[in-house]
Amino acid sequence: MVQPLLATKLHVPKRRRALVPRPRLSERLSRADGAALTLVSAPAGFGKTTVLTEWLDSGSTGAGAVAWLSLDEGDNDPAVFWTYVLAALRTVSDAIGADVGSSVDAVPTRLVNELAALPGELVLVLDDYHVVDSSEVRDGVQLLVEHLPAQVRLVIATRTDPVLPLARMRGRGELVELRAADLRFTDEEAATYLGEVMGLDLTGDDVAALEARTEGWIAALQLAALSMQDRDDVAGFIANFAGDDRYIVDYLVEEVLQRQPEPVRSFLLQTSVLGRLTGPLCDAVTGRDDGAAVLDALDRGNLFVVPLDTRRRWYRYHHLFADVLQVHLLDEQPGAVADLHRRACAWHEREGDLAEAVAHALAAGDHDRAADLIEPALPALQQHRQEATMRRWLEALPDEVVRARPVLSVGYVAALMVSGDAAEVDERLRDVERLLTADDAPAPGTVVVDEEAFRRLPAAIAVYRTGRLLLSGDVPGAIAHARTALDLLRPEDHQGRGAVAGLLGLAHWTTGDLDAGLRWWTEAAAALESAGFRSDVTGAALATADIRSAQGRPGQAMAAYDRALRIVDPGTGTPLRGAADLHVGMAGVLLERGDAAAARRHLAAADELGEAGGLPQFPYRRCVELARVHEADGDVDGALALLAEAERRYVADYFPEVRPVAALRARLLARQGRWGEALGWARERGLSPADEPDYLHEFAHLCLARALVARHAATGEQQALLDAVSLLDRLTAAAEAGGRTGSLIELLVVRAVAEQARGDTGAAAAALRRAVDLGEPAGYVQVFLDERRSLAALLATVATPGGVLAAQVRRPTADVPGGPVDALTARELDVLRLLDTDLDGPDIARRLFVSVNTVRTHTKNIYAKLGVNNRRAAVRRGDELGLLGRAGER
Amino acid sequence: MTTYPCCYEVRLDGRLDERWAGWFDGMTVTTDGDGTTTLRGPLVDQAALHGLLRRVHDLGLALVSVTRLDPGH
Repeated sequence: MVQPLLATKLHVPKRRRALVPRPRLSERLSRADGAALTLVSAPAGFGKTTVLTEWLDSGSTGAGAVAWLSLDEGDNDPAVFWTYVLAALRTVSDAIGADVGSSVDAVPTRLVNELAALPGELVLVLDDYHVVDSSEVRDGVQLLVEHLPAQVRLVIATRTDPVLPLARMRGRGELVELRAADLRFTDEEAATYLGEVMGLDLTGDDVAALEARTEGWIAALQLAALSMQDRDDVAGFIANFAGDDRYIVDYLVEEVLQRQPEPVRSFLLQTSVLGRLTGPLCDAVTGRDDGAAVLDALDRGNLFVVPLDTRRRWYRYHHLFADVLQVHLLDEQPGAVADLHRRACAWHEREGDLAEAVAHALAAGDHDRAADLIEPALPALQQHRQEATMRRWLEALPDEVVRARPVLSVGYVAALMVSGDAAEVDERLRDVERLLTADDAPAPGTVVVDEEAFRRLPAAIAVYRTGRLLLSGDVPGAIAHARTALDLLRPEDHQGRGAVAGLLGLAHWTTGDLDAGLRWWTEAAAALESAGFRSDVTGAALATADIRSAQGRPGQAMAAYDRALRIVDPGTGTPLRGAADLHVGMAGVLLERGDAAAARRHLAAADELGEAGGLPQFPYRRCVELARVHEADGDVDGALALLAEAERRYVADYFPEVRPVAALRARLLARQGRWGEALGWARERGLSPADEPDYLHEFAHLCLARALVARHAATGEQQALLDAVSLLDRLTAAAEAGGRTGSLIELLVVRAVAEQARGDTGAAAAALRRAVDLGEPAGYVQVFLDERRSLAALLATVATPGGVLAAQVRRPTADVPGGPVDALTARELDVLRLLDTDLDGPDIARRLFVSVNTVRTHTKNIYAKLGVNNRRAAVRRGDELGLLGRAGER
Repeated sequence: MTTYPCCYEVRLDGRLDERWAGWFDGMTVTTDGDGTTTLRGPLVDQAALHGLLRRVHDLGLALVSVTRLDPGH
């Protein structure tokens, strides 16, 4: 993170010196057995923080450890937010965050796992959560809330209800709430506060009048009490106050301000622009030298300063008080406000707090100053993946300021590339290019702070252009720009060269030139590793492995996954981000080899790492491979449901979509004889058997050929078969020319099925033999087994005797009926064994990585096959039949 | 969704004096006879409206109503 970590945000705020004990609220918080979330939701000034600190102090939380985080606007960047959450948790346990590694941009899932492994109980408080409006941060928090381990209580204090499924949580008893109505001072509490704490001698009627006017709003009662201290005519004050309908805080702050000596009054007004106060900062802003002393006096007089650290060096004003003070400041000295912010900016800049300095420069309306501060910080912001912060700052500047600064403009492009605003990126790049003159000097009217960054701009622009062109499908354009970029990048710029090499690898892969794609990816991986961008190494490995698979070299794909999986974060020894994707990739290779059990183990390992351990495409990749597991188990509905989920969760990135989910679905349907649906898909996509082959559509065309063969099998229509064979001819020629042996093997298998359907057994055997010659040594099994129904006899003759394929072909399928009842599929056996536990349906679904509906389907099938109609009977009957495998386990 | 500037009228419970106009980005502040206050003025978009409402909420002021005024008002 670029800005310093502020320890004051992690302190449990000190309880105020004078306090009304409120055991009724502490007790309610303590009674929250089993509730994952505690929500304290009320407007400012209702004592939310105080209630929490009293509860934590009372020792009745049931948890020894408390992690506290006071949020502010700067936390709307996931990188910043999660850094602080981890820092807060580390104040409690060294073990936390050790496993998260350096990729703080997606920690929630790993955090859940780490918290679950904690020995003791823990309370995590997020105070001032209402400042969070970043949807990325909110999504992460929601994930955390929904998977929170039992020993952790999350407490959110906020002025507005968080975007979480509160109603559902309420219904399930997972939520404990304190709201404004609970937090208001009761008559009794008001009397205690005014009398015992503030030492005011009031009648019961006085207290009732104040309580009625303030409606138990604590901040207002506090202000009223301060106004009454040392006042002779208390009754008169109360009568005036009660009879006035002005905004209560405004009225009272004015009362309090009027009673302050002028130096204190002007101090309060001038320092009201500060979010956090400390002596030297106040001095810098006021031009005086009594900052520390005044703060101390305010603290003792209970004048709305809240200490932020135990040493009472940092304070903030109570929010309401600060707002009203600023209104007075604006009203009385409108011209002074900008200057106060400017001084605060200068102080924070000297202290190295860039975020505060930028915030004050922006508040001062001093946009050039803010831009001057942001520009040199861009490289560090990018390296720490704080693109959200970059975007927020740059969007706070007037557009013309950003546009006049080429380095800032390209920084904005970098931020936009992450959030995927394509049109804006193009427009900005064009805009910047106009500012770059031939002689490498800034064009007139432009502003450059970071000269070094300015000199690198042409190269940076060429890199971003390459990326944009590739995303928009202009492969030749992308390759041309990549060449320019390589010419412009300095030899030692490993990061830039690695990025361009990767883009070139993608471009060539997209056109089907696998050799060139592989070459560039090898170079990219080396450059990125030299640049220390370890997490990008995962992406390079995935691309390399995908290309290797397309080449029909699954062993090399496996080696690429394996190599990347061995690289760990040097600081923590934990796997890289994207490790989950690597496991999914390995599962894919293992499935191709017919080893579903090993594939499942890798999918489980991927799930263990969780979505946060994956790249953006992880959820989709995971669903695709899981669908294949289900298909291999004979669970077609489960596989279709997973493919539907894969389609929902697909996010486009730079990787070419060479195996679209819709095509995978069509292939599955065609295999099930549901050719009508499969051909419907092809029609919808505008695919025709007369199409000329190209790599991006190769897989889809192959699936179309399968659907046509299935149509012939079902209807006997010769035309479908002829169309399929002619399409396969063209696809085969193209795959051969492109060295895409992976595609070629599947094409030949489908060809064999088609030839057999035509009655040409010789041609079928020839095609299959060639497929086996290519595929068997590389370990291909599943592609043949998938066609076992029609090709079993041929396979037995062409597979190498004694080999893996031959053995697999002979093995009976899991769902062949046998014995007194229909045999259960492997998946149904899994479910049956889990029915013999205490797990409920949703738990079983989670355990098997399937939906609850799929579990229901399996359960229905199990009941039908076993001739029972409830869970207990199914387990009993399963036990009788020896299906539970108990002997082996116990 | 409204993306063009619009005039809004935001009514609050309680009486605010004119001094608050600056705090609410130049909206006019009018106190009504019934103990409510109305902020009135143009806001560039929905984000600005939500920012204004957030300021109202931050002060602990109770919101009574929000009305978009037809052009011509």
